[in-house]
Amino acid sequence: MTAVTSHGTADLAVDLAPHNPRELLLRNPFMAASGCFGYGEEYAGVIDIQRLGAFVSKGITPERRAGNAMPRIVETPAGMLNAIGLQNPGIHGFVKKYPTLWDSWAVPAIVNISAEAVDDYAMMAAMLDEQPGIAAIEINVSCPNISRGGYCFGWDAEMSAEVTRAVRGVTTLPIIVKLSPGASDIVSVAIAVEAAGADAISLINTLVGMAIDVRRRRPLLANETGGVSGPAIKPIAVRMVYQVASAVRIPVVGMGGIMSLNDALEFFLAGASAVQIGTGIFVDPGLPIRLIDELSQWLDEEGFSSFNQIVGLANVGFRSGDPHLFRFREASGL
Amino acid sequence: MRRQLAQVETTGTSREFESQVLAVDHTMGDAILLTVSAPTTVVQRLNSGQFFNVSCRFPGSFDPLLRRPYSVYRAHQQPSSLTFLVRPFGRGSAWLAGRTPGERLEILGPLGNSFVIPPRAQRLLMLAGGVGVAPLVMLSDVAVARGLDVVFVMGAADAAGLLPASELRGPVEYVVATDDGSRGHHGLATEIVGDYVHWADQIYACGPEPMYRTLRTVADTHRINKKPGVQISVERGMACGFGACLGCVVETRRGMIASCVDGPVFDFDEVVF
Repeated sequence: MTAVTSHGTADLAVDLAPHNPRELLLRNPFMAASGCFGYGEEYAGVIDIQRLGAFVSKGITPERRAGNAMPRIVETPAGMLNAIGLQNPGIHGFVKKYPTLWDSWAVPAIVNISAEAVDDYAMMAAMLDEQPGIAAIEINVSCPNISRGGYCFGWDAEMSAEVTRAVRGVTTLPIIVKLSPGASDIVSVAIAVEAAGADAISLINTLVGMAIDVRRRRPLLANETGGVSGPAIKPIAVRMVYQVASAVRIPVVGMGGIMSLNDALEFFLAGASAVQIGTGIFVDPGLPIRLIDELSQWLDEEGFSSFNQIVGLANVGFRSGDPHLFRFREASGL
Repeated sequence: MRRQLAQVETTGTSREFESQVLAVDHTMGDAILLTVSAPTTVVQRLNSGQFFNVSCRFPGSFDPLLRRPYSVYRAHQQPSSLTFLVRPFGRGSAWLAGRTPGERLEILGPLGNSFVIPPRAQRLLMLAGGVGVAPLVMLSDVAVARGLDVVFVMGAADAAGLLPASELRGPVEYVVATDDGSRGHHGLATEIVGDYVHWADQIYACGPEPMYRTLRTVADTHRINKKPGVQISVERGMACGFGACLGCVVETRRGMIASCVDGPVFDFDEVVF
């Protein structure tokens, strides 16, 4: 018996790219979220990273970035604000080190890419397509589109689709598009990126927020605004996963404030085929590994033989296959 | 055809441990010395300057969410335990300062790098500002045990905020300064530290950022060819403690460096203030 199933017999495996010949096969549905796990090596001596379903790297950009000035993080009620500023070595620095390292690992490694122009997303995806050790690309569309006056790609269905199409055109790697909760209609964005060739959708990215230092009468973050994460945003994330999962046929990866198995189960029942743990790792590094065993045990106790049986169980729209009914109800407040 | 999943390898070893509060002693005004149990393996491999991330909330609560970093004030073998200096300042430290013996704490560590005593250094100068005194107490213990000479300079707002002289072990010269003049030099500790710079083989400092700015002037005025070297411990709010989130960086000549893994101890001349 392997360590993966030491606490139960249920099948935890999930494929996040069932329509892609290259597949994105996870041995369990627990992933480490981008920006919260470095490049994996930071946690290699802390937890058994090889047991994770997958991990997503810190956001990589076309050029090296030094990141924002300090302070970069501020604690908020049951959560935190961050404005790191995508500090990273750039795609060229990245490919020199990590693909070879990851190729020797059992855990699937997913690269998160961020850019301010469609061509730059495509350039990075093309480079990654030729590299070993990379299981998939996660596209961060929560970036300003320079050619549209800095309007966020992820807030607009067509702009999100344009990025997805450009990346799809240059790589056969599985593509996950990470949606922004700032979109006025996140379901439209999800449907658009699915049509543009995304293999899976992950959500939610952080919500833009801010905190003020009353004594200094200035924003607490050097960047003024930042992304809110942690338990405080979980209900918003569950709602958005529920809506998106009822509207698309590709797998959905949920995230936002997961701190316990019960939290993860809410996302699975809402329609998530996997979850990412982000802020939860900061305060409890052992959490994602513990959740694997807890889920396995829970599935056994509840009489499920496979994890896939619980995905979307609480999602009425998901099961009826009529996402528009749910969207209408949500929009009209009925 | 489905790929076979490679055999899972076990690598990581958790650095988190559950601890019990052993003692709470009031010191330095409104601060406390919090002594907590720790595994012997943790205490044995610990070096002065390292820190622990302490969860400052009740089990099941998510507020305040992030762990708080605390340098070790003193480590003990019998029983195996650690002492932290905690001043109630924000929500996390206020919660921690309110613990009583017998209560449980979730602690992660040891984390970060440590102070280095160069092989030929005999005379060590320490400069402490307020609760920044914590890691220097442990370093002073180590230095005295090795038979080195220590001058310990400390500054605080008033006499009550000073480390009691009885807390320093062995033959240590203890010099103090207070903002209100209630004890020692009336003014900043950095104003008197210059007198000892020529004597010292190595300088160690821990305190608030304004102290480092004035220390820069002292260091530039009294040192020749950047000798003696100055090691400082910086304090940053942080999230992960493992260099993953990059929320606790320090600006250095080499770029933005994570203070949780490549700090908290930095070469003073490398840091940009």
